[in-house]
Amino acid sequence: MQSKTAARTYTQLNRRSMLKGLAGLSGAGLLGGTFPMPAIAQETTWTLANSMRSLANPYHATFAKGGEEFAKSIGAKYEMLVTEGNSEKGVSDIKALLQRTGGKLIVNVDPNDSPDARVIVEEVKKAGGFVVTQWNKPDDLHPWDFDPNYVAHMSFDGVPNAEAIANALFGAFGGEGGIVALGGILSNVPAIERKLGLDNAIAKTNGKVKLLDFQPADWNEQKAFDITQAWITRFGDEIKGVFAANDGMGMGALEALRQNGLAGKVPVVGIDGIDAALTAVEAGEFAGTVAWDPMWTGAMGLAIPYAHVTGKIDITKEPKEHREFYGTGVIVTKDTVAAYKANPPKTDFNDLWGKATGQVQYRS
Amino acid sequence: MQTRKATSFSYLDQWRRWAPLAVLIALCILIGLFNPNFLSTGNFIRLLNSAAIPVVLCMGATFIILMGSIDLSVEGIVALTAVIASLLVANDITAYKLGLFAVPVAMAIGGLMGLVNGVVHVKLKTPSFMTTLGIGFAGLGIATAILGGLTVRIADPTFRYLSLGRVFGIPMAVWIALAAFLVALTIQQRTRIGAWIYAIGTDEVTARFAGIPVEKTRILVFALAGLFYGLGGVLAAAQFGQGHALIAQGRLFTTITAVVVGGTALSGGVGSVVNSIIGVFIVVVLANGMVLMGIEPYVQQGVQGLLIIAAVALALDRSRLSVVK
Repeated sequence: MQSKTAARTYTQLNRRSMLKGLAGLSGAGLLGGTFPMPAIAQETTWTLANSMRSLANPYHATFAKGGEEFAKSIGAKYEMLVTEGNSEKGVSDIKALLQRTGGKLIVNVDPNDSPDARVIVEEVKKAGGFVVTQWNKPDDLHPWDFDPNYVAHMSFDGVPNAEAIANALFGAFGGEGGIVALGGILSNVPAIERKLGLDNAIAKTNGKVKLLDFQPADWNEQKAFDITQAWITRFGDEIKGVFAANDGMGMGALEALRQNGLAGKVPVVGIDGIDAALTAVEAGEFAGTVAWDPMWTGAMGLAIPYAHVTGKIDITKEPKEHREFYGTGVIVTKDTVAAYKANPPKTDFNDLWGKATGQVQYRS
Repeated sequence: MQTRKATSFSYLDQWRRWAPLAVLIALCILIGLFNPNFLSTGNFIRLLNSAAIPVVLCMGATFIILMGSIDLSVEGIVALTAVIASLLVANDITAYKLGLFAVPVAMAIGGLMGLVNGVVHVKLKTPSFMTTLGIGFAGLGIATAILGGLTVRIADPTFRYLSLGRVFGIPMAVWIALAAFLVALTIQQRTRIGAWIYAIGTDEVTARFAGIPVEKTRILVFALAGLFYGLGGVLAAAQFGQGHALIAQGRLFTTITAVVVGGTALSGGVGSVVNSIIGVFIVVVLANGMVLMGIEPYVQQGVQGLLIIAAVALALDRSRLSVVK
């Protein structure tokens, strides 16, 4: 059923693009940002799209859903572009969509790799569309250098969130003893930030908490399982807690603990706030997790550019902390998990920066 | 092992047969010297536990590699069967409560995927490399489509017993892997299919002249491999208590590596399921040992790569290789 709907949108799109022809092309280029566009006339002519790695992980599936909900709320056409971890495909899909829509495209993209962001931004600017990037971009690429087409860059700050969740872990075992830590792929920005946050938290305990070992498990549950098993052999009772840089690896560690009768005795923390982790928090097996809000990033990456093209805001006049900003991570522990589940974060499409927590920082 | 030529008997030949086992023993001694905990009973059980799923997957993959083909659909079939098994037992998404009946269903689906691999590969004469790659992607795609990126949590303790339960202190998954090994060994040693697999892998043209039903055997072996992957999917779901499309990530590489490191030649005809068991343990012991020895994460991958090349170089029977591809 889904594919049928998609096919229909496709044909309508083509017919409309053809009709638009010259007028559309010149219009998009000229009206770019200097003149706020009249809201009523624009309602349905913009195509919205979210681009992400895959729909097979909970974070990106929800990210895609957020975009869809926003598109539905304004009655716009919506497309999901999946890179499958392939930068080439990610860029060429966006180029194709720019062509098909005659540049009347708002795209919210989580670039497969940092360098892709520059290519995507340049293509979108050339075609007269609008783009928001998530998580990955080169440090020297800034939205204000591509006014008005590069609307914003959104991310979550791994350092303070990892530090906070590490402290929750230390609290769970009484603040004194050894921990082991599972990291993400060594070269990923979030992996580096989360490790830094953990290191900060450990440093602040003045030697009370000791990092017994750190191993990258490449965001992989199975690897985390095997490494944790080896740790149990190597350190035995010395392990008072397990820090995992994401919930998937945390679940792998938890199952390894369970196999050895240690689930619930050795607390685990993760980051991402996936359902399985929340359940583990309720069961007392996880000491906590950090819940991002992919629904919000998925929707706001479209809502902010849409507010600009409809004349509600002029993005070029917004301050820098509205152009490159962090979202809010929610620390969920045993004490707060019931409240969090009963009242999950809501996304208000009109509150553009309500959940922004400061300008993106560059640490390297 | 049966394929050893009587004319080329020599000490070198003898050594080659035992090379993978020698590598394994050397590794164990080396790691044991660094960290005596490695040789503890507790760690031995943990090693068996880590090896259980790779062993099951290797049993299927060995037969295919023995025929000189390759199977890249491991991850796709494991993911799909893990997701289906999770959805059929008590869980938080569907209302099914099939309990252990989910096991044969998941295995049948694995077998079916394998059958498709075999039929497409044989009937359309597409290389096994491309066919299985395609079917593997299809499996991942279906798993993703079924769950839409979500994770299904298993709430059936009986099903989880397949991984968590212990008999004589050994995890259930290990017993299941042992059973899978015995079945595979029986097929290899005591059935005509077993003999035909070696014949096809050694020289398909001759096998055909000898009246061996090559096409049928190929299809059957791919289906058989699918059954093993289906069982692997069941064990993966039971181990993590959940099913999702990424559950099999990294399994393909471990499986093929273990088979090859164990001394089964990618060119076909040489090797056995016993070799693959040794191969799995080399891979598992190495991963465990590097954490125990506290080797820098940056160095680990390099060491792993070097040891894999060393193991293959030691085990390779070069007398049969006129061309290296």
